[in-house]
Amino acid sequence: MAVDRKFIGKVYGPITYEIGKEKLKEYAKAIKNPDPHYMDDGFTKKSKYGGVIAPPTFAVVYAGMLAEPLFYDKELDLNLFMLVHGEQEFEFFDVVKPGDVITSKGTIVNIENKEKLDVITLVGESTNQKGTLVCKAIFTFVIRK
Amino acid sequence: MAKNIKDITVGESFSASEEVDKYRAIYYAGASGDFNPIHIDPEIGKMVGLGGVILHGLCTFGFMTKTVTDWAGDPGTLKRIKCRFARPVHLGDTITTSGTVSKVQGNRVSIDLKVMSQEGVEVLAMATAEVEL
Repeated sequence: MAVDRKFIGKVYGPITYEIGKEKLKEYAKAIKNPDPHYMDDGFTKKSKYGGVIAPPTFAVVYAGMLAEPLFYDKELDLNLFMLVHGEQEFEFFDVVKPGDVITSKGTIVNIENKEKLDVITLVGESTNQKGTLVCKAIFTFVIRK
Repeated sequence: MAKNIKDITVGESFSASEEVDKYRAIYYAGASGDFNPIHIDPEIGKMVGLGGVILHGLCTFGFMTKTVTDWAGDPGTLKRIKCRFARPVHLGDTITTSGTVSKVQGNRVSIDLKVMSQEGVEVLAMATAEVEL
């Protein structure tokens, strides 16, 4: 069954996520990235950020949470066994720091029905507690038929 | 320290490699919250025709990003990064990311990226990044 194009425009969230300092370290270690910007207080106190910052791709956690309500949306009824992550794009507008509260909202901007697969594009916009846009995430999921 | 925009030339290149050790997908699952069984259970990986566990595409994406931010010298300078997930990455693979500066406009530097396995397979395709120095 093809994914119905009438769901273009459907919105998920808002989902809020509070950035934790130790979680950032854990994530940085998991991607084998010991950059001192993410974990060294002494180094970052002297940096222009005045403290540790999140690895840019930590957006996969705070914005990536938008994928879950899409995957389990009963209206769309996606076949998760056939779903693969097709493409990913992040655009960054400001750094994210421990203590920030990030609110993300996702919108289905496109659904393409091709012969052997459907393609869903979800755009997530994440803002911090000051209302500043920090990240725009474009997720492309492919569902094989 | 971030690089100085004055020192960047179109065509300059850089690269770095990461080994996907045996437990990398488990570390990544824990840190990211993505516990999809194709990344942690070899039996499921075999059952769905992937020949065992595959690494999360976004972990490979993380390796690619590190190559760019290490080169730039400051991860806060990264403004945009993207790719298509072309081929699965398996445990034991070595992933090499190569970047080439394609354009410098004002403070913005555009970079073309190639992300390959040790077998010369392009695992992430159409990958590009932009940093602002």
